[in-house]
Amino acid sequence: MRIIRVAVLLMAVACVPFLSHAAEGKVTSSTQYLWYQDFLSNDKDQSDVAQYLRLNVTKLDKEGKINVYGYGRVIKQISTSDEGRPELADDTFGRLYYFYLDYRDAVKNHLDLRAGRTYVGSAAVSGTIDGIYLDVRNLGPVGVTLFGGRNVTFDNKSETGACKDSLAGMSVYFDTIKNTHVEVSFGRKYDDSDLARENVGLDFSTTPHEKVNIYGKVKYDTVSDKVGELLFGAKLAPVKSFILRGEYFQSHPTFDEFSFYRFFSVNDYKEISIAAEYWLTGQYQVSGRYAREDFGGSETADVYEAGLLARPIKDLTLNAFYEKRNGYAGRLSGFRFNGEYRISRAAISAGIDYDDFRREASREGTAKKYWAGILYELNKMFSAVARVEENINFNFNRSYQGFAALNITY
Amino acid sequence: MSNNRALKTILMSTAILLGIACLAFARTDHREYRDAKPEDCRECHGGSGVADNHGAFFMKEHRVMAEKATSNCADCHQQSFCLDCHKGGGLEPDLRKSLSRRGEYMPKTHRSDFISIHPIKATDNPRNCYRCHETGFCSDCHTRQIQRNRSGMGIKPHRTIFVSPGVPDPGWVSDHRADARRNLQSCQGCHPQKSDCTNFACHPNLRGR
Repeated sequence: MRIIRVAVLLMAVACVPFLSHAAEGKVTSSTQYLWYQDFLSNDKDQSDVAQYLRLNVTKLDKEGKINVYGYGRVIKQISTSDEGRPELADDTFGRLYYFYLDYRDAVKNHLDLRAGRTYVGSAAVSGTIDGIYLDVRNLGPVGVTLFGGRNVTFDNKSETGACKDSLAGMSVYFDTIKNTHVEVSFGRKYDDSDLARENVGLDFSTTPHEKVNIYGKVKYDTVSDKVGELLFGAKLAPVKSFILRGEYFQSHPTFDEFSFYRFFSVNDYKEISIAAEYWLTGQYQVSGRYAREDFGGSETADVYEAGLLARPIKDLTLNAFYEKRNGYAGRLSGFRFNGEYRISRAAISAGIDYDDFRREASREGTAKKYWAGILYELNKMFSAVARVEENINFNFNRSYQGFAALNITY
Repeated sequence: MSNNRALKTILMSTAILLGIACLAFARTDHREYRDAKPEDCRECHGGSGVADNHGAFFMKEHRVMAEKATSNCADCHQQSFCLDCHKGGGLEPDLRKSLSRRGEYMPKTHRSDFISIHPIKATDNPRNCYRCHETGFCSDCHTRQIQRNRSGMGIKPHRTIFVSPGVPDPGWVSDHRADARRNLQSCQGCHPQKSDCTNFACHPNLRGR
């Protein structure tokens, strides 16, 4: 009911300027049929119909500062219900991803605001809220963001969370030295009115030279009195078309204030990585990455990645990726290869994924996926999409799934 | 106590920041480049003093930029662009994205059969799972499998071994402790309740719920 009230209120506010000014509207719709196999439903074939809708109403005022954005979907499972999964059938689920009023320059050069269901983010806390987000800019050398509202969480096809789940936070940022950003943030999450999380975040990035970028992020969990996340990295561009990156990341498992898990001792996770990417020509890019992962107690893992992006001829794009992993939790060796070719109004895509895995002290095997899809633009307003996929893995000898969609934009 | 430390952290950070604050620089509005291809960005950014992004590893890197208060993601992308990956939307289906066993769109990172490889991939930065998934996402599947006594679950065996009634095997205790310390967050998936861990003498008087 609260969501409906907010939506009605927003629509009412949004409609006021219509009285004096012609707004612009853009609607994007996607009507879809999806089929798949759920191994929790005795591997039965399942099928859904879904309707996605995105609404952009812009230029509600003469200056184009006030806009309304909305995005949601309705989905219904149309296959026969499984006894073990009665909640999935015989019902229609709705999910409102966002619906908010965006008012830029509500106070000229000083205030932007968003009200309604919207995504908010900061180094301390982030999520989707039914509430308000304010960005107060140009307060001397600093800016301040403030946000708060009901914390919106999504579950299987629907929305979860109690009315009293909430999220609130603020950040103070300094864009003081050219190409340097420093931001301190504070955030809290409440679970049914009980304080669940409280974090302080620090975020910085600076580009002291055109070939060097240094950045970092710290998330301090005040509930457990620990640094929950620490990231420090440097990005170098020693020559044109070549980028080198080194990162150190550390995390400490954190839990809700009231969770019994937070009273256990845990190890930090540490990761050092180095990555490089290079454009050989405008049509070929190669990349590679190595990461050393440390789980504590002498358990480690090594991860190697290599990638190739190629556009050998006009309208053809090829992607290849390989990963090899050895160490704690298991071994993994896999690749994915896919390509897209555009012919007039159509785009044809296909790909293969393959993984050979050895889980530590449990399962081993391979997982393969073959897929193909086509996008056809009938005209500027209508387009159709179809994708089919075959899976071969330990759950299924042969499993087929896919979707077909009709998209409309006007 | 924790509040005092948090306050100290804020005050110290603010003091440092104020120390370097002198001039304000506005971010560049990128809305007019909304339809440009990422490779075109290098034409401006090469030598501009700000390195271009959206490179080969942008999937791993974008969080750092997106969480900034002054991020300019919205100049080119609508929130639906983010949510289609993070929350299973599919308004503009990317043909490289697959469907989960629930019929939800999955991000491209979930390659091949992600159910097969997720116990390994989840350990590569254990935080990543929780950026999109609630804890209940794991238990929805794992708990059902346990209830159905499905032997094919394939989890590393970790049922308690007792040498006598109420006395767990020291070898099991050692392994259990080591695994829990490394990956406690994953334990929540099947054991969300306090009673799951306090039904023997190892964890008496454990606080929380």
